[in-house]
Amino acid sequence: MSTTGTAPSTLASAAPGIELRGVVKRYGTQVALRGIDLEIRDGEFFCLLGPSGCGKTTTLNLIGGFVPVTEGEIWIRGQRIHRLPPHKRPVNTVFQSYALFPHMNVRENVRFGLKMDRVPRSESTPRVEEALRLVGLEEYGDRMPAQLSGGQQQRVAVARALVKRPAVLLLDEPLGALDLKLRQRLQIELAQIHRDVGTTFVYVTHDQEEAMSMADRIAVMSDGRIEQLGEPEEIYRLPATRFVADFIGDSNFFDATIEGSVAQLSDGSRVPCRGGSGRATVMVRPESIRFRPGEASVPGRVVQTSFLGKHVRVAVATRASEAPVVAALHDTSELPAVGDEVELTWSADDGVVLEPA
Amino acid sequence: MTVRAAEAPRRARTPRLAGVVDYLGFGPAVLLFGLFFLVPLGIIVCYSFWETIDYSVVHHWTLDNYRYFFSVTAYVSTMLATIWVSVAATALAIGLAFPFAYWLSRYVPRRLRTPLLVLVIVPFWSSYLLRVYSWLTILGQKGVINRFLQWAGITHHPLGVLLYDRPAVILVLVYLYFPFGALTLYSSIERFDWNQLRAAMDLGASPLQAIFRILVPQIRPGIITAIIFVFIPILGEYLTPQIVGGTGGVMIGNLIVNFFQAAEYTRGAAVSLLIAAFIVVLLLVFRRSLSSKEAYGA
Repeated sequence: MSTTGTAPSTLASAAPGIELRGVVKRYGTQVALRGIDLEIRDGEFFCLLGPSGCGKTTTLNLIGGFVPVTEGEIWIRGQRIHRLPPHKRPVNTVFQSYALFPHMNVRENVRFGLKMDRVPRSESTPRVEEALRLVGLEEYGDRMPAQLSGGQQQRVAVARALVKRPAVLLLDEPLGALDLKLRQRLQIELAQIHRDVGTTFVYVTHDQEEAMSMADRIAVMSDGRIEQLGEPEEIYRLPATRFVADFIGDSNFFDATIEGSVAQLSDGSRVPCRGGSGRATVMVRPESIRFRPGEASVPGRVVQTSFLGKHVRVAVATRASEAPVVAALHDTSELPAVGDEVELTWSADDGVVLEPA
Repeated sequence: MTVRAAEAPRRARTPRLAGVVDYLGFGPAVLLFGLFFLVPLGIIVCYSFWETIDYSVVHHWTLDNYRYFFSVTAYVSTMLATIWVSVAATALAIGLAFPFAYWLSRYVPRRLRTPLLVLVIVPFWSSYLLRVYSWLTILGQKGVINRFLQWAGITHHPLGVLLYDRPAVILVLVYLYFPFGALTLYSSIERFDWNQLRAAMDLGASPLQAIFRILVPQIRPGIITAIIFVFIPILGEYLTPQIVGGTGGVMIGNLIVNFFQAAEYTRGAAVSLLIAAFIVVLLLVFRRSLSSKEAYGA
């Protein structure tokens, strides 16, 4: 008995949590996913991030089994699951609308999945209580969903999915319906719950801040493809495409010709960059921009300064880019005034070279 | 201030009159309801406890009409048969209406739903009598089914079993009352959040388990309303068994008509009231499920 008991766990740690191999999804002639290859590690907090229509929810639904794959395979812990119906997959979902059962109280909602698995009551009762404790709702077991706030309903949905101890928990924009303050608090709570249970979380969102704050790794999606896969900091500092740079955080783009680590911009000024050759786009984050005259700088004129609390945003019109260049200044002592002629520069590491637009 | 001060004591003096004035608006409704429902019902109740002697009603109080009904085996068995025919027809009508309403509200695009619902209602544009009679052209000796069977060589003589018995009655009743069930169920399923079924299946429920544990409990008031809308009129059906039921398909409605046509008004009244009493008991049983406790916990 003990050998059969330990064998699956070693197998589980060897295989990736979730693996998508060449997954394509078409709805009629419309292509929702154009060949996704993706490995999600066991126990990881993984984020699918992208604008609406990018295929992130489709990917989630394919893993959950709510829509069939057109081509390709999906594996979970070394088991091919893409032909199994949803109720036979080791996966549970937290829906965007929570989809709590309004005719059952909180405890019955959480117990539902165990009841479907015919878990005896003597075992399910402590598991339900444990799940409620995990989300901090142990006092609310007898309430009906309609008597709970949005945040509490969301936590019931998490408890209801986690009580089944799934290999993977899918979360479909679970905080989308909540206001900003509550969303930020629940982001912290969800990350905490993830650390407590160690289950693989696959989290879909269009909110880059949410993804950055919680995820171990992020897949940025666009138009049915994964644009970039990596850790939050990596994606922010070194976006692979103009789309990723644009979608995550604020960015300034310059058309340039690159020679080594010097970029010549369209106004003739030469600025530092990470390196490359030929025609390219140079991307610089607002907080990387310095107002320091020198040889490697772009001349411009300040058109607007806005105080935003943690920093001052300065918009500078230049001849090197169509839109004003946006800089974020944390040190207000060097704050220029509107109309000032300024020189913009940045360090070579902060000038990210991308494909030309 | 002065106006109010003057008004207050006057109101205090004639509270009863003020109360009557407040309810005056109900007058027409009370009149209508009383004249066309309570008075006739009262007459029927009285009739059922009077006697018919030589084709005229005699105001002599007795329980004989009820006693007589229960003493004739054929009457009692007709009543029991009526109940089971009604139960069967209701079960079939609702059993067909539920999948239809489910399919309509879950899978049919919104713009196609109204046309489909209109198709369900279209039969109501023709007369009720016509709709029942039309079944004779389908089930009769020279009806569509028999002609087809003979043309296909499956039978050589027309089948008589299609008509003039309980199965024919049940079939036509299901046809007649399906729309009531479908419309009532659709209106209660329509607002359902289908994500709940997805969630149930995600949590390990099979599709059928999801429907019966999640959808059905939430639309219970709608289901019971549909059952009542279908069952009660079927219980009093008279034309359908008359036209397609023959001698084998007699229902209690036919019995009542027979009594009244034979001028046995008091016996007819008693049977009518038995049916009415049965329905009242039924409604009392269902009353709790019908109460508007739909808004869970709210």
